[in-house]
Amino acid sequence: MFKHTSLAAALVGATAAILLSAPLATPAQAQITAQAGSTKKPVPLKTPHTTRGAPTSQEVLVMDSKGVRLATFSAAMLAEHLVLESDGFALDQPTQEGTTGRDRLTQDEIQRLCSIGKNGQVDEKTAARVSELAAASIKYPEGGIKLGDWKKGRELAWSGFGFRTAHNPDDHSKGTPGANCYNCHQLALDRTGGTIGPSLTGYGKLRGNSPDMLKYTYEVIYNPHAYFACTHMPRSGAKNILTQQQIADVMAYLFDPESPVNK
Amino acid sequence: MMRKAKKALALALFMSGAAQAGTDLAPDEVLRGLINKIDSSYLTQSPQNLMMMPDNPAYLVAEEGEQLFKQARGPKNASLAQCDFGKGPGVLKGAYVELPRFFPDTGKVMDFETRLVHCMKTLQGFTDKDAAISKRHGANTDITKLTLYVAMQSNGLAWNPPLKHPLEKAMRDAGEVMFYRRAGTMDFSCATCHTATGSRIRASVLPNIHVPEEWTKAISWPAFRVGHDATRSSQHRVLECLWQMRYPNIRNGSDASIALISFWTDAARGQPAILPDMKR
Repeated sequence: MFKHTSLAAALVGATAAILLSAPLATPAQAQITAQAGSTKKPVPLKTPHTTRGAPTSQEVLVMDSKGVRLATFSAAMLAEHLVLESDGFALDQPTQEGTTGRDRLTQDEIQRLCSIGKNGQVDEKTAARVSELAAASIKYPEGGIKLGDWKKGRELAWSGFGFRTAHNPDDHSKGTPGANCYNCHQLALDRTGGTIGPSLTGYGKLRGNSPDMLKYTYEVIYNPHAYFACTHMPRSGAKNILTQQQIADVMAYLFDPESPVNK
Repeated sequence: MMRKAKKALALALFMSGAAQAGTDLAPDEVLRGLINKIDSSYLTQSPQNLMMMPDNPAYLVAEEGEQLFKQARGPKNASLAQCDFGKGPGVLKGAYVELPRFFPDTGKVMDFETRLVHCMKTLQGFTDKDAAISKRHGANTDITKLTLYVAMQSNGLAWNPPLKHPLEKAMRDAGEVMFYRRAGTMDFSCATCHTATGSRIRASVLPNIHVPEEWTKAISWPAFRVGHDATRSSQHRVLECLWQMRYPNIRNGSDASIALISFWTDAARGQPAILPDMKR
């Protein structure tokens, strides 16, 4: 479709626009360097017109401080570059926890392992690793797992405030960050909750409040990947979204017979 | 809500716009067509909006956009008549549904808003310091008005972003990776909310990217956001989602934002655009 020359000309200008704004991330650099030594000539790309399906690697000419050379660029490498190296995000933006936007966007191992594409299933090995990491992250309250104040828990469960930054940062001095449960779970019949996660209405009434059930619930709130590898649910304990006391309050909202959850 | 005269004007404008775009279907009729085609609680979640769509306040914003578009403005005292949105200078019909695309004159893949700003700089001489360019997301910005005017001329046409240039494909594929990439305080990715059918955040039904008939409505921006009492753009949708996801601010017009928009537009390929839409 393209002639060699025109393809090269277009790509040099074009890739430069994407890639030259900052040095490439280390893995990308390594791969490009490896390609640079090869004698392979630029070949016309088959016009990629598979509009759906897994992202593929692209052979493109890269021009940076080391000159112009052919490189294989995977979609994953380009995505990582766009997120963390291309000035696409406010990487220096302060966060409520005292870190930066870069820290928010840099993936930890669970986030990386659980970034699964279309129709992606977590394989057994990955699931085992994720669950192992999650279980190891869980810290238990001194003096054992107890239920707190269900009314405070209700406030937390129905609050989506906290940790938002971008164009309108949440001021944590003006409010307590919430637990965000209601966005995804139906909790009680008095208000409408979401359906991304399962309904939790009647939680304590249906399950009882045995020590095992309390422990299980604490662990799921703290880091749900221990039981459900690569679940959508946030890690409220492991990521310091909720304190242990706040988890106890949310648990009281789920277990207390007086809570609307069990009415 | 609106005065009768204004309403009549808006309707007249909309009728002429529809005729120009080469489709006889009004935006609400495009949406009804999709509703008749598939069973979707996302598409049907607001009968009120469906009823109000013929009187969409966005039409008045588009009217102002048409005046701005044709008016000689900026340091170079030029109109935007010669702006090339990808189908040649001055060709507006169908241009909006064929973006993002690669532009040889800049060597970049650009989305609509980035291209519009490019034209305002090169043709009219505006700079980033001018309010005409620097004000992006509000209801009464020049960018919003101009976007509506041009976007409406693709109403009812199928999304068809070109993927012929390797960079268009590379950006689309990187956008797909970003869509599934989990990060932030709460481990969210775009896929957390947009890969299941009929699931809700609170009371709002979420669109599924794997159902193109739902997804075309999801990406049909600009739209009038009833809850904001304002028209909003694609770039604004990206910004708001990432805010809720606890991500840092994404730079408007960055390659990162354009990669995401490239992927999400491709996901609606072949489905008719609803322009302007009306959303909750």
